[in-house]
Amino acid sequence: MEIEIQLTNELIAEKISAPSQIGAHGAWIEFRGVVRDLENGGKISALEYEAYPEMAEREIRRLLEEIAKKNPCLAAKVIHRVGIIPVGETAIYVGVASTHRGEAIALLAEFMNRLKQDVPIWKRRATPLVAANVNLRASDSADSHRRLQKVLPLDEAVSEIQSRCQPLPGVRVRLEESFGRVLRETVLAAEDLPPFDCSTRDGYAILKNDESEKFQVVDTLHAADWKPRELKPGEAVRIATGAPLPCENLCVVMQENVERSGDKIKILRRENSLNIRKRGEDVKAGAQIVKIGARLNAGKLALLATAGNVNPLVSPRLRICHFTTGDEIVPPSQKPKPGQIRDSNSFLIRGLLQDFSFDLEQSHLSENFEQAKSQIANRKSQIDNADLVLVSGGASVGEKDFTRPLLEWLRFKIVFSQINVRPGRPLIFGVNGNRIAFGLPGNPLSHFVCFHLFVATALAKLIGAEPKKFLRGQLAEKLKDAPCPRETLWPARLDLAGLHPLAWASSGDITCLTETNALVRVPANRSSIDAGTEVEFLTT
Amino acid sequence: MHVLFFAQLKDATGCDSIEIELSSPQNCEQLWKFLIENFPALAHHQKNTRLARNWEYVDAETVFVNEDEVALIPPVSGG
Repeated sequence: MEIEIQLTNELIAEKISAPSQIGAHGAWIEFRGVVRDLENGGKISALEYEAYPEMAEREIRRLLEEIAKKNPCLAAKVIHRVGIIPVGETAIYVGVASTHRGEAIALLAEFMNRLKQDVPIWKRRATPLVAANVNLRASDSADSHRRLQKVLPLDEAVSEIQSRCQPLPGVRVRLEESFGRVLRETVLAAEDLPPFDCSTRDGYAILKNDESEKFQVVDTLHAADWKPRELKPGEAVRIATGAPLPCENLCVVMQENVERSGDKIKILRRENSLNIRKRGEDVKAGAQIVKIGARLNAGKLALLATAGNVNPLVSPRLRICHFTTGDEIVPPSQKPKPGQIRDSNSFLIRGLLQDFSFDLEQSHLSENFEQAKSQIANRKSQIDNADLVLVSGGASVGEKDFTRPLLEWLRFKIVFSQINVRPGRPLIFGVNGNRIAFGLPGNPLSHFVCFHLFVATALAKLIGAEPKKFLRGQLAEKLKDAPCPRETLWPARLDLAGLHPLAWASSGDITCLTETNALVRVPANRSSIDAGTEVEFLTT
Repeated sequence: MHVLFFAQLKDATGCDSIEIELSSPQNCEQLWKFLIENFPALAHHQKNTRLARNWEYVDAETVFVNEDEVALIPPVSGG
């Protein structure tokens, strides 16, 4: 049986088309459940429906398949509307096609009965007819702090973050301080590199077309000697590697191919190579040597130094405030009492940030909201100046109820607070202008995953770099997992053989992180993946 | 473990979901005990509320582990 299921916030269309293979069925029956103007004896203007969407869809499908065993049908389409539905509009639409009408009618009747027993959809509240608008607003605002937040898929969460983070203004710093930062202007070569023709060998410079057998050595040039002169046929200049040539049209004969006696030399063997690095061979004056957006690594610093660019315009140091929470957490130097654990997240975060240039303030907050507020009250200006505020949640119940109000109190607007990713579902992302905040779920593995997926993306945007993208690679070993309704990021070790999935039992695992250098993306509801399969992964 | 509350249970708990860290697998009875300790208002909904684990209704033998998504389903009223 062909089954189509939709849960929607939108108006259900007046006309719904029958399944395409119209010729195959003799009956196509439709049912619409419409919101009545009476509910529990009172006049109403609307009803509000709520659903557990993932499960509702599954249950609807399961019911249809089960009932179709007794009443075989060809196709069924179910559309249930959720949210506020005004009186007179369709709450549910069911269409069933079968060869004879009997099966379709029987299936529809039983389905509607069973739907009202098993499918997780609820009539939430009715809106009285009088002063409907006022009531709608009142119920909206009273409910807003505990409204079911949309659980964002990974890609949506990442693009939401990307769209809300803008590059911070660039700063000019000394080249010594610029390692790891992002260049904010394209740097041009002011002169040729190398700036003069120079020898690549220890040997003797002679005229390129000089066929003489014996030469008179007329001068000696070391690496820093600048001694222009013309050479005549039969004359040679002793020259060191890197030394500037005295004039044009020369070649260098390496010393191994020369027999010297006193100030005379005899050439034993000639090579095809001139053994000269030509002026401008590496870079021509005016050429772009390092482009805007480049991350300054050792090689680029060397090039900027060579080109004399000693004050590059680069991304600023990121100002980051990190709070750990959880009353069970004690400093690593302290021996935990029963029920307590040592703080590992402070070190994980500090280490993960090393790819960036940053000033980091870390401190621990009490889980008592009032105490936490007074703990940070005297450093509020510091927090208000931070480009990024990170809060590591405790593992206890209600962490969301702590981090979220805390970030809101710090005047961040929460963009999302749940993501459909394992581990790390309760991830909070907030913005305040160009400042951003993350509430990370407390477990180390969740921290690790959320940092690479989301925090690093935000930081890359802030400094003006290209965020890391998923790559494709092969599993070197089988990845053994039970199906999970959420997409999973699986810790792995990447080497030349491919990706080796690492064992982890819960998001509290730390040992697997010591080996992890990649996260494999496992699609939702996928159980094991065989060795050799191509998968998406992120390097860490 | 992620635990979701729907409909009147949201009003009872004051939130739509919580995250629980399980140190060992739990059965239905243990889970209910934990939930009621934390949200006493759930006690008088227990009789009418069904549990779902990873989008399917559970039975008496179901065991919950840390990676599960669990939902508390009060009597439904769709359609």
